[in-house]
This record gives sequence, structure tokens and C-alpha cells, in this order.
Amino acid sequence: MSTHSRAAARFVADAARTAWHDGALWTVRAKRDRMAQSVPEWEALRAASSAIKRHTLSHLGHYLELFERNASANGMQVHWAADADEMNRIVGEIVAAHGGRNLIKSKSMLSEECGLTPYLLARGVDAVESDLGERIMQLLHRPPSHIVLPAIAVKREEVGELFERVWHTAAGNSDPAYLTHEARRHLRGKFLGADIAMTGVNFAIAEAGAFAVCTNEGNADLGTSFPDLHIAIMGLEKVIPDYRALAVFTRLLARSATGQPVTTYTSLYRRPAAGKQIHVVIVDNGRTESLANEAHRNMLKCLRCGACMNTCPVYRRSGGATYSYFIPGPLGINLGMLRSPERYHGNVSACSLCYSCSEVCPAKIDLGEQIYAWRQELDGEGLADARKKLAVKAMNFAMRAPGRFYGAIALGRFAGRLPHGVLNNRLNPWYGSGRDMPRFAPRTFDALWKAGLVRKACGTSDDSNPEKHRQTP
Amino acid sequence: MTTKERILRRIADARMPAEAYPAFDFTPQRFEDRTAEFIRQTEAAGGRAVLADGAPLDELIRQLYPDARRIASRLAEVKSATIDPDATDDARTLCDVDLGVVEGLLAVAENGAVWIRQNIRHKALYFGATALLIVVPREAVVDTMLDAVGHPAFADADFDYGCFMSGPSKTADIEQALVFGAHGPISTTVVLR
Repeated sequence: MSTHSRAAARFVADAARTAWHDGALWTVRAKRDRMAQSVPEWEALRAASSAIKRHTLSHLGHYLELFERNASANGMQVHWAADADEMNRIVGEIVAAHGGRNLIKSKSMLSEECGLTPYLLARGVDAVESDLGERIMQLLHRPPSHIVLPAIAVKREEVGELFERVWHTAAGNSDPAYLTHEARRHLRGKFLGADIAMTGVNFAIAEAGAFAVCTNEGNADLGTSFPDLHIAIMGLEKVIPDYRALAVFTRLLARSATGQPVTTYTSLYRRPAAGKQIHVVIVDNGRTESLANEAHRNMLKCLRCGACMNTCPVYRRSGGATYSYFIPGPLGINLGMLRSPERYHGNVSACSLCYSCSEVCPAKIDLGEQIYAWRQELDGEGLADARKKLAVKAMNFAMRAPGRFYGAIALGRFAGRLPHGVLNNRLNPWYGSGRDMPRFAPRTFDALWKAGLVRKACGTSDDSNPEKHRQTP
Repeated sequence: MTTKERILRRIADARMPAEAYPAFDFTPQRFEDRTAEFIRQTEAAGGRAVLADGAPLDELIRQLYPDARRIASRLAEVKSATIDPDATDDARTLCDVDLGVVEGLLAVAENGAVWIRQNIRHKALYFGATALLIVVPREAVVDTMLDAVGHPAFADADFDYGCFMSGPSKTADIEQALVFGAHGPISTTVVLR
């Protein structure tokens, strides 16, 4: 059993929660569909988005240097970090040089990736997440289970209990509007008391030396409104050529993510206000390695919208916490494998190969196809599941010779007539909650064909369209 | 070798074959009535948009926000303003004013976004005010974001900070229930005139 299926067994044990999670994400997926269908040039936008990303990646050095040059000319300070350690060290040094212990943070997957918050907390910097979902997860001491909807697996009653414990909200009140406004009230103090602001970067526009931050809550903008210091961290694949590219991506991002035509705030930071500083840290942390990987470099096109998670039948029914990499779903399966196949191959089985993720991706990343490719590569890495390999060997042996094949079918048919508990028990890995062994058909197709029954069977249901049901004898 | 040089070296070593910047060979969406679409999308985003025919701003403010007591604005015609947001050195004092009245330059029909180029001292007003009223020239409504970034009001202007803003601050982080006023304004009104 893979790490994912073991963890998923715990998640699905709560059937009501699983159904809610599945339904909630499907609603988001349906909203995304309505948005996509309301834009006539949707597919042209996806194609443009993919082509702009491919173009940028193939000129990545040029655009990163152009961004650095223009951002520096605008008065920002640009830093480069090879890995997580270097990024954390640079941020730590900027904070130490500036002084202050109160850091207000908006959502950044890069900070999760690099363990920045624990790094800062360990150095006495009170790094407070300001996105409501992220704050809930921070107070619960649990990692986000979705990149756009961090608290999607948490129920309102749990949030109510949490807020009651930390903020003494009204006992038993789990109304989302009440809880959200209580959070607003308590976080106001953190915003006003902050001396350092930190944000991620959705898009770094090379020609303008500016960067865009997209939120619905306005937390990034409120956070950067008071402190003298704003630190923005970005993976190096976040750079884009120009504003026209930004327009394409902003037309796709929120429609794909939450089914909104745009995020409430698409903010452009171009020049620090008088007397203030903006630092941008450009981070590699394995991305150049992905760029060199021809089969998988497409992953660097990702806009981090989360559409692949919302549509994934496995993710919806198993939850984000069941994946061993910090990003779940089809995106996380792939990014985890790029990070370390050794550590994260337990996620590649969390895919039914339906390829719906590839279909909804606004950057046209072939996520499903890449998961399939990783599975093929597992054996070469010595990481294939021994039991599955054995099963495939047995299938191979049985299917090579007709005699063995039909013998196996006869055996299967016999097994199907055994009393229920003989096969459907815990010793059989196929058997599980809600799933019995399938029954074999009483006669094989081969036997039906040879008896001339196939043609007759089809013929009886034939209608007036001979093309549709044409048979070859 | 600096980290920057090392990263650039690794990018060069990845040897990804050059791919061209795409030709934008499609026509962005066009709306028959851009203004009507903008109003529709603003309402869908939880905001309000009104067409004002010469009515003084103060009258609109009284109608739309009758309970607003602390009103911050730099606009000379807003006589009902009680706070000059540029007069303070401390942006924190702009938090929780009842209403901010500010200028926007463009309105985007496809998504109800207004392009605000910061022209006040503290951007805190845009996010700290409980309600925000944004005044936009009615002829500055464009179809899509592609038209917005090509419009002179965006492309030709210098700015430190700017924001495309669509409706009030919102979140659905608790069980996907939509709540307005997560951190920023609880209410926004765009006045096209």
C-alpha cells in the first residue's frame, strides 16, 4: 500500500466529511467551468498562457536579469537564493538589519516549501499568517491542505472551537460570517502592530520591474500598508515578460482557481514609497534542475491556481493531508517527484489517469501524462511496488498463452462461486470498504463469438442506423 | 561565483531550446454594452456600480452611505470629507474610517475591476476604510484586461503602486461560505461619471 492510500484510509473513514469535501471542491470546479465557458477565447487564452510560459522559460536568464535591472532602477533591492537555506538566511538578515519582531505575512507556497515561518519563529520573529485560511491552519498547527483553499478540510465547528479557545469568541457559535469578522477584528491588531510585511509574488513583470500579488481578502495590501519594510519572495519561474502577459494570466488565474472573473485585488508593486524598502528574493531551490529535465520542465509553467486539485477525483475524496509532499493533488504529485522520487513516490498511485487535470490547467500542463511517465520511471529508480510487479508478472505469464489465459478465467469463475467470505476478506488487498471482488461473466467473449452469439446479440438491438452498428463477421 | 551567477549558469546549462513569444492571434471578448457588463460584474463581485449624471458627489455619498461620519478624501469636490488622508504621517490613523472616496482611472467590463493608481500618500486608505467609493470617468470602461493594460491610462502612466480592485474584500475560507470584509473594505461603490 502506498503512503497515500494508507493516509487516505484514515480520511475516508469519516464518510460524511469525505462527501462534504468532495462536494465542496466539485462546486468550485463547476464554477470554474461556467467561467471558462463564458469566455469565447478561453482555449486561445490557455494556448497563449502556455506559449508565454514556454517562451519565458526558454529565455529565463534574460528575463530574470531584465527584471532585476528594472526593479533595481525602481528602487527595489533584489536578492538571489540558490536554495531554501539561503533564502531563509537572506530573509533573516534583512529582518535583523531592519529590526523588529512583528512580521505580517500573506500567503506564499514558497515560504511553506522553504520552511520560512518556523525559521523566523525560531529566531524570535513573530511571523503571523494573515490570510484567514492560512491563519486557521497556523493556529491549528497543521499545514494547509490546498494551495488556494488552505482550510478546505476543516469544518466550521472546528474553526468555532479554535477561535473560542484563542480569541474567546462566543461559545458554540460557528457561523462563518461571525467567525470571519472576529478574525478581522483580532488580526487588525497584528496588521497595525507589524513592523515587517512579507508577501509572495504571483507574477514578476520583467519589462516593468514590478510584481503582482493577487488576493481576495486584501491581506497582502493591508499588510504592506504600515511597515517600512516589505519582503517579497518568489520562485524564479514567476517572472513573465510584460504587462500583456500579465493580462493573459489574470484572465485565467481566478477563473481557473475559484470561478471568479478576477481576484478582488491584483496589486502591482513597482517602487517603494518614500522612506520605505522593498526587497525581492529570487529563489531557485531545485527549479533549475526541473528546467533541465526535458520530460518534466512543463511543471514550471504552473500558475498555482489549484484547478487540478479541485477536479481530481482522488484529491477530492482523499483530502490534501494524505499526500506526503506539502503540495497535494496532481500538481503536488509531480512537484514531489521532481523534488525527490525517493521520498515522494508514494503519491504517484493517487491518480486514476483520467487526465482531467491536464484538461483544466490554464497553462496547459500535461499533469496526468507526467504522472503516468513517473510511474514508468519508478522501476528504473528501484521504487516500484514489489507486489504490483509480481501481479504484473503473473498477468504477463497468464496472458502469454491462450491455454493459461482461459485456465485462469475458469479459475476466476470458480472462485466467484465460492462463499462470499472466502475471497472478500482482509487477506485480499482488492477487498475493502464498499468494494467486493467483481464477478466473472458466465461465458467468455471468445466462447460467445465462436458460438455465433455476438452477432446475434448485437443484431437484436440494432436500430435503423447501419453505419453506427456495422458488424464485421 | 555569486549565487546569481551560479543560478544563471544552471539555467544556461539546462539548454532549453528557444521558443518564440506567441502571436496574439485572437480577438478578446467584446461586449455590446461595456458599461452594463461592468455594472453586472461589479455586482457579481459583491460591489455596487452606479452611473452618475452630474449629481454632486456629496449628494451621492449622502444617499449611498448615510451613516458615514468619518469620511476621508483628497477630492476637492467632496465637501463632506472630514479627514484629509494626506495630512497624517501615520497611515494607521486611516484604519476604520467609515468611508474613503478615491479616484480610479479605468473600469474593466469583463471582471468589474477598477484600476487605481495610487495618488494619495498612504495606500492604507484603500484597504483600511470600512467602505470605499471609487470615482471613475465613465468613458474609461474597457472590455478586458488585455484592453486595460494597453490603455494609455495604464500603459503611459508612471506609478509606485497600483491595484485592479473588483468589489469588496472577501473570503470563503470557512466552509466555502462567502463573507465580505475579510480584511479590507466591507462595501465598495464605483461611481462612473
